[in-house]
Amino acid sequence: MSRSPDGVIVAGCDIGALTTKAVIMKDGALLGAEILNSRARGAESARRAMEGLLGRLGLQWDSISYCVGTGYGRNVVPFAQANVSEISCHGRGAHWLVPSVRTVIDGGGQDCKALLVDENGMLVDFRMNFKCAAGTGAALEVAAESLGIDVSELGPLSLQAAEPALLRKPCCILTQIEIRHHLFEGRNRADIAAGINEITALQILPLVRELDVEKDIAFTGGMAKNVGLLKCLERELGTEMVRFPEDPQLVGAIGAALFAADRARTRS
Amino acid sequence: MVIVENSRILAAETLPYRSFPDQAAVGAMEGALAKAGLRREDIALCLATGMGIRAVAFADDAVSEIISLHRAVRQLNSRARTVIDVGGHSFMAFNITEDGEIKESAVTDRCAAGTGMVLDAMAKVLEMPLDEMNTSAARSKKPVYINNQCPIFVESEVISLTNDGHDVLDLFAGVAASLAGKIAGLVGRVDLIPDVVMVGGVIRNSLVVSNLERKLGLGLTRLDGIDPQTVAAYGAALLAEERHRV
Repeated sequence: MSRSPDGVIVAGCDIGALTTKAVIMKDGALLGAEILNSRARGAESARRAMEGLLGRLGLQWDSISYCVGTGYGRNVVPFAQANVSEISCHGRGAHWLVPSVRTVIDGGGQDCKALLVDENGMLVDFRMNFKCAAGTGAALEVAAESLGIDVSELGPLSLQAAEPALLRKPCCILTQIEIRHHLFEGRNRADIAAGINEITALQILPLVRELDVEKDIAFTGGMAKNVGLLKCLERELGTEMVRFPEDPQLVGAIGAALFAADRARTRS
Repeated sequence: MVIVENSRILAAETLPYRSFPDQAAVGAMEGALAKAGLRREDIALCLATGMGIRAVAFADDAVSEIISLHRAVRQLNSRARTVIDVGGHSFMAFNITEDGEIKESAVTDRCAAGTGMVLDAMAKVLEMPLDEMNTSAARSKKPVYINNQCPIFVESEVISLTNDGHDVLDLFAGVAASLAGKIAGLVGRVDLIPDVVMVGGVIRNSLVVSNLERKLGLGLTRLDGIDPQTVAAYGAALLAEERHRV
């Protein structure tokens, strides 16, 4: 159902709070993807991400017959014909990659969402946190900074922990102080990294538990790259989550491209 | 760090909490000793207070921040009935009874919204010293109000608004108003009985203070003769002095 008309090329562009993701699809298959840091310059990074991707694939701007924008900056994707909320896109993308998915936890740069999809990948219900940075990618970034490591190292490092350091503060800014105290007391960095993942999982889970969670469960967004956090969530949920054949950070953009394929089909 | 003798401040030192807390504590102690022309052995007793109590390795004991603040305020302003402390990471408010006892307190140690962190985030984004921003933004005719309270989200909202072409000082005026609104909400958890004394680093930001006074509908009293950031440390020093006498 997600195929665009034969030979037609569609695109999805997800401008998140921290990164911009662009994907291009053709005949129901992913041709390529690009991830850039966006921060404040959403429109500009969207253009750069898509331009880079087109160049790598040997395509032109006019090769794209339809593009859907999504994410925090979905309204400013300069080359998109339409935009769809990232909640719908994450559900759609996750379900397309692994059709058994019914529950999606999306850990983004500045928000966290839990959502349910039906057997067609369409949104049924969702919960969202956007008031507090705890339990979002931004929280992992500041925590990693306090630990003196890159956010990408948090997952692998945490797997070497003997016992997670106990972090109690619900606020990720105050957690920074707790992290410094643990470092001061000579606590092993791996233990602290594990502690960061533990508290982050505990901050995400209440959102998930508000929904009637159905298996399979998927974890998407940049936070899903953190294998330690993924394992914490799996332990708390008492089940394994699906593993994606693609980078989980691309799921929203893939969902957007699938919506673009729908539009291209309706139009032709 | 505050060193007192006969309840008088001999020296005070404030260090930012960027490095490890233990190093900051040692650095502040060394700085204060140097200012006072004293040596470590001259300190009869040291009490630690605040969030980083555990990091003050050289302290003889620790006292809670509210007890320290209460002690210092009682020393400096006997008419104080309400105390508001807005620091870099924390918020605290309490009432003092006619008899000088602590009554009704509200403490926020779970969330950085409504603390000086919001201003730090602004200074970082706008790349301008806080004092300078404060002075210039007071002239803003049309503050740009922001939606977020969490400092991390304030930072990205301000970045977006700056890129949308909003004036930096209008933004700062909006953030100051929003922070004052959040503080006013937290203050609502205690009784607002004059004199209302405000302490903590945020009081140095006159734009936040004037907004807060307007929202609370009364004037805030500052403590004379002390750096507003060192009030709790001064209280801890007074308590140390009392203990040493016993």
